[in-house]
Amino acid sequence: MAAVTDQMAPGAHVARKTPKGTFDIVFRNASFLSALFVLLLLAGIMVSMVIGGWPAFREMGLGFLTSSVWDTQNDQYGAWPAIAGTLSTALIALVIGVPLSLGIAVFLTQLAPPWFKQPVSTAIELLAAVPSIIYGMWGLFVFVPLFAAYVQVPLSNIVEGMPILGTILYSRSPSGLGILTAGFILAFMIIPFIASITRDMLDQIPSVLRESAYGIGATTWEVVRHVLVPQAGVSIIGAIMLGLGRALGETMAVTFVVGNANRLSGSIMDPGSTIASRIANEFNEALGLQLNALIALGCILFFVTFVVLVIARILVARVKSY
Amino acid sequence: MLSTLELSPQTLDADAPVRIAVKNLDFYYGEHKALKNINLDFRDRHVTALIGPSGCGKSTLLRIFNRIYSLYPEQRATGEILLDGRNIISNNVDVNELRSRIGMVFQKPTPFPMSIYDNVAFGIRLYEKPPKSELDDRVEGALRRAALWDEVKDKLKSSGMGLSGGQQQRLCIARTIAQKPEVILFDEPTSALDPISTGKIEDLLEQLKTDFTIVIVTHNMQQAARISQYTAFMYLGEVIEFDATNTIFMNPHKKQTQDYVTGRFG
Repeated sequence: MAAVTDQMAPGAHVARKTPKGTFDIVFRNASFLSALFVLLLLAGIMVSMVIGGWPAFREMGLGFLTSSVWDTQNDQYGAWPAIAGTLSTALIALVIGVPLSLGIAVFLTQLAPPWFKQPVSTAIELLAAVPSIIYGMWGLFVFVPLFAAYVQVPLSNIVEGMPILGTILYSRSPSGLGILTAGFILAFMIIPFIASITRDMLDQIPSVLRESAYGIGATTWEVVRHVLVPQAGVSIIGAIMLGLGRALGETMAVTFVVGNANRLSGSIMDPGSTIASRIANEFNEALGLQLNALIALGCILFFVTFVVLVIARILVARVKSY
Repeated sequence: MLSTLELSPQTLDADAPVRIAVKNLDFYYGEHKALKNINLDFRDRHVTALIGPSGCGKSTLLRIFNRIYSLYPEQRATGEILLDGRNIISNNVDVNELRSRIGMVFQKPTPFPMSIYDNVAFGIRLYEKPPKSELDDRVEGALRRAALWDEVKDKLKSSGMGLSGGQQQRLCIARTIAQKPEVILFDEPTSALDPISTGKIEDLLEQLKTDFTIVIVTHNMQQAARISQYTAFMYLGEVIEFDATNTIFMNPHKKQTQDYVTGRFG
């Protein structure tokens, strides 16, 4: 047996054609080009967005950011209602979604009995995979009518005439559509992301740290509040920023439920629009300066989400090694 | 028999009261029975070492005393562990209060993500609300007893995570003694430390036994011989032999004990 191997080995070696340089060089260049393609794509999008949006910025100046007029007849465009809508829906989504997400993550990692932990974890993964149009349809056909009947109408009756609440929470036409509705749907969409990342971060904390926190007599709340959450710290903020990134850019679901009004209202119960929903609504028929204005809106959204995502990446990457 | 071992110079007080009495204790990880009929007495203000090969159940036993195992639903203990006559493994014990009376120092240093000062004050604040000046005094006192004060007194506000491994472990000891527990459990406290840090921790244990009842799990037989007055040798979930440390190391009654302490197995 050994003799056979000895005889075969040198022969095989001679017969084998080494690929030498050529294949390796081709392979290296091909993979380099693939990587380069990503950079070119990004640069291409950025450049065409800036070029496409430039006429709107030039025409309207800084007023493009601050004006509330969106008048296609007179070619006057202001981005402020859409910017405000984007920021307010995303903020509402965070206000609703973050506490729920943290609660889910803490429950799953610290409190849940094993038989309950697995189904909830799986449900969260599945929720994250639901396409946004499903959220939009469900929001429009199920959530919106209920929200109108059981929240907007009674709440408007209560707050009518009140000083500040009477403005913020009063709905002139209780259709169920509006900024707050969009915020709710966005919250449902970002909860799976924030909850699952936070759960992973909490799971990564060594059990000995948790045991020693319990070991000096701290209650579950004290362990979570003073030891585990600070330990996961910046990574949790990173998870929230990732959710924020999604909330800012989400288009389909928001377009369904936000009401698509071009004017700015003081009430979160009233219809409004976000940058993404405005673009989705008008792109088909837009010409000339209107098209430039929409692309300019896209530039603003691109810039804002880009900054948020960069911050999120930096924070998530900073998982402290123990 | 063991001339290489440096035995504890202190004498033990055979009349010292029993602080913790373990009676007919069994312990289960799910279906697996990890401890079988353990009977041990831990004497007040003495150091008792638990030795034995990996997997013999010594850390498992230690983790029962402050009910760490209760964090895991599939783990359960039956029998009695009496602390001042009260069975601490019964269901109606206030586990948090128990843990403040039986402190634990772990294998790896576990500083909390907060300042050095807050690390030590954390355990105190859980159960007492002392005025600032008294809290300052107790933090300083605990850090002094843990032989860490001189190294950290100028940076009490900086993070406990920034200290070296040995300093972190002394910080954890300071955090534990600041609560004024009656018993301190040490789970291989020096296994992650260099020899110099280990020496400091051992000196510290020597000091601490004047005030605290100490139970220490160690893989290091020299360490057990140096610092403990009583030693229990465990094997496969059972206590094979429990006696004064000198007897265990110089004149053990069981062959298994002799084989282990002379390094023939384990």
